Amino acid sequence: MIWQQFLSLAGSYPLALRGLGMTVMLSLISLVLGTALGFGLGILRTGGNRLAASVIGAWVDLIRGTPFLVQIFLIFFILPELGIELDAFTAGIIALTNLAACFICEIVAAGIRSVPTGQVEAALASGLSRWQRMRQVVLPQAMRIVLPPLVGQYVLLIKDSSVVSAIGLTDLTRVGWLVVQRVPNGLLVFFLVGVGYFIVCYPLIMLARRLERRMGAAHGEVQL
Amino acid sequence: MTKTGMIDFRGVNKWFGALNVLKDITLSVEPREVVVVCGPSGSGKSTLIRCINGLETIKDGDLVVDGQRLGDPATNMTRLRTEIGFVFQSFNLYPHKTALENVTLAPIHVRKIPRAEADKAGRELLAKVGLADKVNAYPAQLSGGQQQRVAIARCLGMRPKIMLFDEPTSALDPEMISEVLDVMVAVAEEGMTMMVVTHEMGFARKVAQRVVFMDAGAIVEAGTPEEFFSDPKTDRSRAFLSKILRH
Repeated sequence: MIWQQFLSLAGSYPLALRGLGMTVMLSLISLVLGTALGFGLGILRTGGNRLAASVIGAWVDLIRGTPFLVQIFLIFFILPELGIELDAFTAGIIALTNLAACFICEIVAAGIRSVPTGQVEAALASGLSRWQRMRQVVLPQAMRIVLPPLVGQYVLLIKDSSVVSAIGLTDLTRVGWLVVQRVPNGLLVFFLVGVGYFIVCYPLIMLARRLERRMGAAHGEVQL
Repeated sequence: MTKTGMIDFRGVNKWFGALNVLKDITLSVEPREVVVVCGPSGSGKSTLIRCINGLETIKDGDLVVDGQRLGDPATNMTRLRTEIGFVFQSFNLYPHKTALENVTLAPIHVRKIPRAEADKAGRELLAKVGLADKVNAYPAQLSGGQQQRVAIARCLGMRPKIMLFDEPTSALDPEMISEVLDVMVAVAEEGMTMMVVTHEMGFARKVAQRVVFMDAGAIVEAGTPEEFFSDPKTDRSRAFLSKILRH
């Protein structure tokens, strides 16, 4: 009985790899885009423009205050009503990128705010432009604060990507649903799905822990 | 056309909320002049020099620095700041950069000087402030006095026309004060236009052409160090001097 289930599971191996690939691909693209967007939003959030800062603040609150599943449904089912047709993969990328950007925005903004005013004043007094102040003085110091929770956030977002299975993307979680219809052993199947996620996330968890220790070091050189 | 100095305050006022922190300030600093600003804490002396490079903005009156009027749309504040060195009470060195990188950052990125050339000039400046052996040290590895000397070298690296010092020795242990003052004296003797907020009266006597005494946001008295120390004109300056010269 169990043996037959194992054989059947082994037969699902290619499907599982495809699901893992989808999860990794989806996470990777969204995290790269979301990180870039999140840094941009975080910088604007702490910048001089009050209107931009409050619009971003409101958007971040809205996204953080609603379930990710609802956000995906809105993007995948409601946007087509407005004439914007999206395939499931694009919808998933958009939803996950947006979610990542909002969380990362807050992490980056907190990092920027942690840099003492005197640092900005010193950079101002030397005649550095706004971008140079950010690039040369503020961001390198903010990274000490930003990096550990940023990597931790990546882990959360990879796990959140499982929600995209709800709109039909064949990611790792959906592969679980498909396989369990043929192999009626939910415990075993979803145990293996969990192992799949853990294999992807564990290196990042280790990295976050390492960064946390390193950022406590003496003079704040950020070296990866 | 009235005669204009390097730094010209004419009827300058500034408020923090309802508090009038600068009251009708009129003061002109000539090129190569060294002016020491003193006064009790909260008298507005830091605010006064922070206005000169636009770290604080003024409410009304005119402030003209190096021929450019502050707050005028035609004045490029970022460019003007490259001509004004500012030394902070708490040093504000960049903690993620070495002493040399602190000195060369603005020359490389603002003045667009090639890195090799900027490094050479930076090493010379650090040698000049007595820190030739600390070129690659990070701020956290330096004493307060050493950090403040790096901060002065950082300003000099931009070859400014004006140097402003905001209580440069107040955060230092007593035994480190003189190493910083020695560097400041050397800068003054090279003909730098300087405004120095300090209570180091020895420094004032040695290099200042004028001492300005402020209280409650206004300039109460201004004169040569000899006049000011030996014959203060007002009760408030006498009271202040008796407190700081008692020891």
